[in-house]
Amino acid sequence: MKRHKEKIKRIVLALALVLVISWVIFPLYIMVKISVSSPQEVMTQHPSFLIKDFTPDHWQKVLSGQAIRGPLTKSLAVATISMIITLGIGIPAAYGISHLPKRWGYLALIAIFFTRMFPEVGIALPIAIKFLEWNLLDTNIGLALAHVIRVLPIACWILVGTFQTIPRELEEQAQIDGATKKVVLQRIVLPLSMGGISVAAIFSWLFSWDEFTYALYLCLAQPTLPLKIYYYITRGSWFLTATYATIITIPVVIITYSLQRFLKAGYTAGALKG
Amino acid sequence: MKRIITLLFLLVFICGCRSVGKDVLRVVMGLTEEEWQVMRQDIFPLFEKEHDCRIKAYQVEAQDWVRKLEAMVSANKVTVDVFSQDNMRLYPLVAKKLVEDLTAYVDKIPSQITPSMKEVGVFRTRTYFFPYRPNVQITYYNQKKFNEYNLKPPKTWDELLKVGKRFKEAEGVGRLGLKLWGGSPTVAQVYELIVSAGGEPFEFNDQGCIDTFVFLKKLYPYLSVDSKKAKWDTTNTYLANESFYLAQNWPFGVNIIVKEYGKNEIKAYSGWRGPKREAHTVGGEVLGIPKGAKNKELALKFILFLESREVQEILVSKLGWPLVRQDAYGQIAEWQEPYFEAVEEALKEGVYRPNVLYWGDFEKFLNEAIMRILVNQEEIKPVLNQYHQKMQDVIIAYETRC
Repeated sequence: MKRHKEKIKRIVLALALVLVISWVIFPLYIMVKISVSSPQEVMTQHPSFLIKDFTPDHWQKVLSGQAIRGPLTKSLAVATISMIITLGIGIPAAYGISHLPKRWGYLALIAIFFTRMFPEVGIALPIAIKFLEWNLLDTNIGLALAHVIRVLPIACWILVGTFQTIPRELEEQAQIDGATKKVVLQRIVLPLSMGGISVAAIFSWLFSWDEFTYALYLCLAQPTLPLKIYYYITRGSWFLTATYATIITIPVVIITYSLQRFLKAGYTAGALKG
Repeated sequence: MKRIITLLFLLVFICGCRSVGKDVLRVVMGLTEEEWQVMRQDIFPLFEKEHDCRIKAYQVEAQDWVRKLEAMVSANKVTVDVFSQDNMRLYPLVAKKLVEDLTAYVDKIPSQITPSMKEVGVFRTRTYFFPYRPNVQITYYNQKKFNEYNLKPPKTWDELLKVGKRFKEAEGVGRLGLKLWGGSPTVAQVYELIVSAGGEPFEFNDQGCIDTFVFLKKLYPYLSVDSKKAKWDTTNTYLANESFYLAQNWPFGVNIIVKEYGKNEIKAYSGWRGPKREAHTVGGEVLGIPKGAKNKELALKFILFLESREVQEILVSKLGWPLVRQDAYGQIAEWQEPYFEAVEEALKEGVYRPNVLYWGDFEKFLNEAIMRILVNQEEIKPVLNQYHQKMQDVIIAYETRC
């Protein structure tokens, strides 16, 4: 009887899981379907659910022209630079904050979060003006720095939480064993924080990859991929919008998949000597 | 090693020489890929050759240009010399002092330009923009469905109502499209209905305005449910996926609905007349020079070049754009002809929106009135009386300030 109940519970759980996954994947499927379907199949009162009239035309149109190369390269470059800068500043800052007395650490975090309290559309214009004064229009570094402004507080917050989970005793024990502060950081703290660092890295990369408002202000000659999608949405072309939207999703899947192996719990379990 | 250095030096020298002496003109436009192709292949090279310069052209959507230019002007780093802009979005550029005053050059506008088009760029007594491309909304309809139900495209308000009723009786759902998403798309549409009913839109509660809202309230049950999501871009989709069998939109929809989606059954005509007259809001684009542009002289030459007969004839032949000049002609592609004729017909009954400083307030009030009367089904007269008062207060406030 108990085994039977357990079995039913598992089936219900599996069904619920399938339902949730379908709910998440459905819009993505529709996006991919539109990108490879003929207009005659989609533009009717009752479009089919499955792909019936496959066509590579929209992909060919997007990939054969020069239009995709520039935005793709720019988006990749900006997202990567933004991630590197965020981690470069965020890791030392968060490590320092995590070692402050609890009250001061909390205060420092709140101070960092202060910049996130303003609505993006409100501060984007003054920031864009400053960046233009510094000749950062149409530069990868300019856009990446603008993205860092928004993403750094959250990255710090994630990283402070990560560093706080590492027992202080672990660092002290390593120092007693003769390790310098630098070695402690390199060999103990950073490897044990890879989960949190990966989350911060994924988050900052994805934020920059998707970001729109600053890109709108700071790009003129070369748009990023979100701006390119916006162009097709504004122009009302479904198929090219869907194709670009699929393209923008591919690196997200790759980067999330490749970094998720670091997202394991229990890194510090049993780390302390008795 | 020495040879390599000499070679590199020569290379740098040659590259340097190529750019020396060539002016660069930076142009911002909001175009489709097809339109860009014509600009880059057929139009820009003519100007570059004539003026020994190089054109760098950038895509910026009309709705984004104001904030982009505002950032550039505020930073004193204006990297654009000339731009085209939707004539329904000019007011903020003037109000924020982002454009050069071109009044001194008005006599350079060719006399063959349609006179009413020249007025589009005038604010109070100053000219800030020069005309270059007229545009007007046409009415798209699904010929297959009209034939199926033995209907003809409506030419009056009464016919429009009958067509709407017939579709609803036959299919159980409304098939007429009205852009009710809000903002400019909704206002442009209702503005011309008020004018065609003999109303003065800024009055809100005159007989023409009241008649318009009475008609809209009658029409509302026969609208497609997608009307609430309809804007310029989504209207094309709803026409193509047959949620709408009839709706107004700009001619840019022709390339998307017919050429890209292959919906050849979607035809177009100029539209319907109201109780007093036929009226179609004239849109289109004008050209302006940003405040602080580095190459103002060349920018002005470029503006006049785009207004020239030669360029206008290329634009009509290759893109089917309506002409801004009365002396230009062009042979357009056969499939585009019926749509072009619809545009030409609609332009004959074109009405220009006045360039008033309080347009933003008017747009807000009209949108609110539409939502309250149509969506919330409030009484017409009390709502319109309220907005009449609000509008008058705003107009008096602006006039006192100026």
